[in-house]
Amino acid sequence: MTTKRTRKRKRPAVKMSRTMKMKLMVLFSLLVFCLLGLIGRLMYIEYTSGEAYTKKVLSLQSYDSVTLPFQRGEIVDAKGTVLATSVAVYNVILDCSVMTSDEDYIEPTINALVECFPDLDKETLEGYAKDKKDSRYIILEKKLPYDQIQPFVEKQDAVDDDGDKINPFIKGVWFETEYQREYPFGNLASSLIGFTSAGDVGTTGLENYYSDTLNGVNGREYGYLNSDNDFEKNIVSPQDGDTLVTSIDANVQSIVEAKIKEFSETYKDNAREGDGAEDIAVIIMNPNTGEIVAMADYPTFDLNNPRDLSFMYSEDELADISDEDQMNILNELWQNYCVTATYEPGSVQKPFTVACGLETGTLTTDMTFFCDGGENIADYRIRCVNRSGHGLETVEKSLMDSCNDALMQMSYLIGPENFLEYQSVFGFGQKTGVDLPGEANTSTLVFDLDTIKTIDLATNSFGQNYNCTMVQMASAFSSLINGGNYYQPHVVTKITDSKGNTVSNIDSLLMKKTVSESTSDILKSYLRSVVSDGTGGTAKVDGYSMGGKTGTAQMYDEETHLRKKGCYLVSFIGYVPYDNPQLVIYCVVNQPNTEDQAHSYYAQNIVREILEEVLPYMNIYPDEELTGKNADLGITGNNPPSHSFTNGAVEETPQDDTIEQISGDNPAETTQTQSETTQPEQPTGDTPQESVEPEQT
Amino acid sequence: MSREVQREKTREKKKKIAYFDYNLLFLVIFLLSFGLVMLYSSSAYISANKYGDDAYYLKRQIRNIAIGAVMMFITAKVDYRVWKKFGWLAYFGSFFLCVIVLIPGIGSSSHGSSRWLGVGPISFQPSEVAKLGMIFFMAMLIEKFPRQMGDWKTLLKLLAFSIPVVGVIAAANLSTAVIVFGMVVCMLFVASPKYSHFVIVGVIGVIFGVCFIMGAGYRASRVQAWLHPEAAGDKGYQTLMGLYAIGSGGLFGKGLGESLQKLGNVPESQNDMIFTIICEELGLFGAVCLILLFILLIWRMMVIANNSQDLYGSLIVVGVMAQVAIQVILNIAVVTNTIPNTGVILPFVSYGGTSIIFLMTEMGLALSVSKGIKLESIE
Repeated sequence: MTTKRTRKRKRPAVKMSRTMKMKLMVLFSLLVFCLLGLIGRLMYIEYTSGEAYTKKVLSLQSYDSVTLPFQRGEIVDAKGTVLATSVAVYNVILDCSVMTSDEDYIEPTINALVECFPDLDKETLEGYAKDKKDSRYIILEKKLPYDQIQPFVEKQDAVDDDGDKINPFIKGVWFETEYQREYPFGNLASSLIGFTSAGDVGTTGLENYYSDTLNGVNGREYGYLNSDNDFEKNIVSPQDGDTLVTSIDANVQSIVEAKIKEFSETYKDNAREGDGAEDIAVIIMNPNTGEIVAMADYPTFDLNNPRDLSFMYSEDELADISDEDQMNILNELWQNYCVTATYEPGSVQKPFTVACGLETGTLTTDMTFFCDGGENIADYRIRCVNRSGHGLETVEKSLMDSCNDALMQMSYLIGPENFLEYQSVFGFGQKTGVDLPGEANTSTLVFDLDTIKTIDLATNSFGQNYNCTMVQMASAFSSLINGGNYYQPHVVTKITDSKGNTVSNIDSLLMKKTVSESTSDILKSYLRSVVSDGTGGTAKVDGYSMGGKTGTAQMYDEETHLRKKGCYLVSFIGYVPYDNPQLVIYCVVNQPNTEDQAHSYYAQNIVREILEEVLPYMNIYPDEELTGKNADLGITGNNPPSHSFTNGAVEETPQDDTIEQISGDNPAETTQTQSETTQPEQPTGDTPQESVEPEQT
Repeated sequence: MSREVQREKTREKKKKIAYFDYNLLFLVIFLLSFGLVMLYSSSAYISANKYGDDAYYLKRQIRNIAIGAVMMFITAKVDYRVWKKFGWLAYFGSFFLCVIVLIPGIGSSSHGSSRWLGVGPISFQPSEVAKLGMIFFMAMLIEKFPRQMGDWKTLLKLLAFSIPVVGVIAAANLSTAVIVFGMVVCMLFVASPKYSHFVIVGVIGVIFGVCFIMGAGYRASRVQAWLHPEAAGDKGYQTLMGLYAIGSGGLFGKGLGESLQKLGNVPESQNDMIFTIICEELGLFGAVCLILLFILLIWRMMVIANNSQDLYGSLIVVGVMAQVAIQVILNIAVVTNTIPNTGVILPFVSYGGTSIIFLMTEMGLALSVSKGIKLESIE
């Protein structure tokens, strides 16, 4: 009590007055108000710019994270020859903000750049240093090969004896790796291999079909903090793409392409302006596996520069062609004729018709037919090659003579059900599933039971009026002569990883049994006779037993729905050797550049020329006595080639491939049969009945 | 007998008097702990790169907090009324220290202004000392004439006393000067019964501030960077990076330790800009929680000031409260680009030696004042 009183007396403790408390409250409120205002400000920033800033933050990280490109896999042939590969190339990048971060860096860096890269000039670089100070990514040079960037790298990394850098002021230049697709053989198998755009997007051919297999997974280099909070660079290595091992043999392919080219150039500008034919294409296939050994068409193009048309047109001509037309020309050029084109095969169909008859029992080998030069069906007269008629024909001889009349008579015996069933058995109208892009769909280009008429059946029996693709025909023919085993045609036989370890083997796929062993044997021997004593003699390689069938199909005009006069697609399909066939070769020449197109020996000459070189190369040995047959023939049939282009084949009957149109007194010379599913136009009642199917062999 | 009873009652009364504001203590401890976590998160990358030790800043901060804890313990134990005697000493001492730091050769500079004073192995910022000094000095002065505070004369006289110190600090470090001046004004505001005076002082202060900023080249360019941070190049870089960090955090942030901007993008991420990293990692939610914690802290100090047993104690706590609040407001305003960029640390969270020690000392003072509160008067 006393102390209290003394203190009070001594000095009354001044305390906060009511006003002060009030004002403190006001001050507190003011401060809280400010803080709440700032919360509002935070929300505002978040609301208005949150997303943009989030992206900004992520973009700021990009320099910590660099994409490491994968290397696209190679495409190699059966012997391991590289057909397509990816090589590393380097872009020279200037990080201007680094270079200009110190005045001392600018000059040495620019000098080193100018010295090592002759394409760069000092003024431009100094311009960058002045005007694009903050730019972090300026591409100075694109796609330089490794050895061209080495002088700079050496200069940058050079160290003296003490390990100090000699040129420490070279800053802000780095190299970006990318891969460029290269095709060591340029034009070889161009439409088959195909090319890529942007380095790893397959555009055509195998590059397109197997693009995903060839591509790998990009790697990444990024920085992060490890558990000790040290900044570390981590590298996720790129996974390189897988390599395609194909059944193509680069040597066979180049022989084939050389012969095609020789043919085309020989006949160039002969009867009309242009190449030796509208299309020339060859498939060589192993009939026992379905593996494609060579597949070529004409013209080829440079895979390293697929958009270059200068080999076809001069600069002036190109300037006159619109971009759209140029693109169309390119697209056509890039097409693989063997897979994407459809056409009426002609007489190469005949063995299939015979096989169908034998298999169904509607034909027997001892049957005979009388050829009087043609058949009258409905309102049409369909002529045989030999207008005066072949006379009495056995089944074998009808093939040797390529007699249409006999085949038509066979078709009546076979009947539409059997015929169509075997069309389907041989795979006509169906996709083969070959591992190439753009395979034509022919399902609408063959007849079915509802649409087929007698005339269609008759014309189908010798390969007119329905369409097929080359790969279909080659596959079906293989099954016909190998004992009836239909293998799916394919190009790729194995996929390996970048180190050469096998990822997967693509085994030959036996799709179905087409004909019996005995039918196959009969056909094989008939086809042998076609080459030895029939229309296929020109294709015969001396010393080799072989069989085959010729074809000459009159072209159909899509616009007029009439047969094109004087326009023929000629072909030859054959196998070597007779016992245990090792290869099947199929050659198509679409409208050879001659006055007289209707001769299959254009195709036969190409086949013979190819086989003469390919057979020894493939270690297929002669199995017959040499007779000197065809020894004097060249690509034109004559040796030395003459431009008379007469058939030099000794045994070939003169009338064999000659085609005569219908009766001369008939104004409507060409027939109106068609190759699509639409029905042939029937002539009106008052039109003469002589309109005729195209003859062919 | 009756004397005995009387004594008993007195003792009981005395026991009741022994109040201590644990709320404030725990708030401070919580803020410091939170600060340490965020400091480690935001500085690990930079310190690992710079010093090869990711905990370099963390360790130094812990050492400073330990020193600060000792100081806080001492000031909380000592009766705050002792400091009344040192009012003038604190004033002249602050002035002296702030002057000699400007002398080339004695003060060491950083960021273009000399702010550090080295005494043997210890270096410290005199401006931080001055903050505490001015609190003591102003509290002492105001307590001398509490009833004359309504006069213009007294107000101007008291303000005039603060001008030399504020001016000297401003020569080296404008933001600290603003804090000190603001703190003085807050103390006078509470003590004075008038409002009008302060509106006028405020207006004059703003005009003076604008002229001052425009006067110096480096300050004017900061204003440009404030208005257009994108176009200001290097000057706006820090602000912009801070904004990116805040904006990218979202509602709940990227998660503790997940900031990308701290990886070398936000300069001073452990220091002035730590709030941006908090926003990025803990999001709007974390940032608002932290601001609410600060509001809680100043509310506690207001309660202590209201119930202090004397005006001197109240004024000291008001000074401390004003200082903490102004620093928080300025710091957050800077990182959100609400005001031009200036270096103000976030109390208890940012990395800092002198500032954290003196902040904790000031908290000790507030705790000391809280001990004098009579419990009965709280109800």
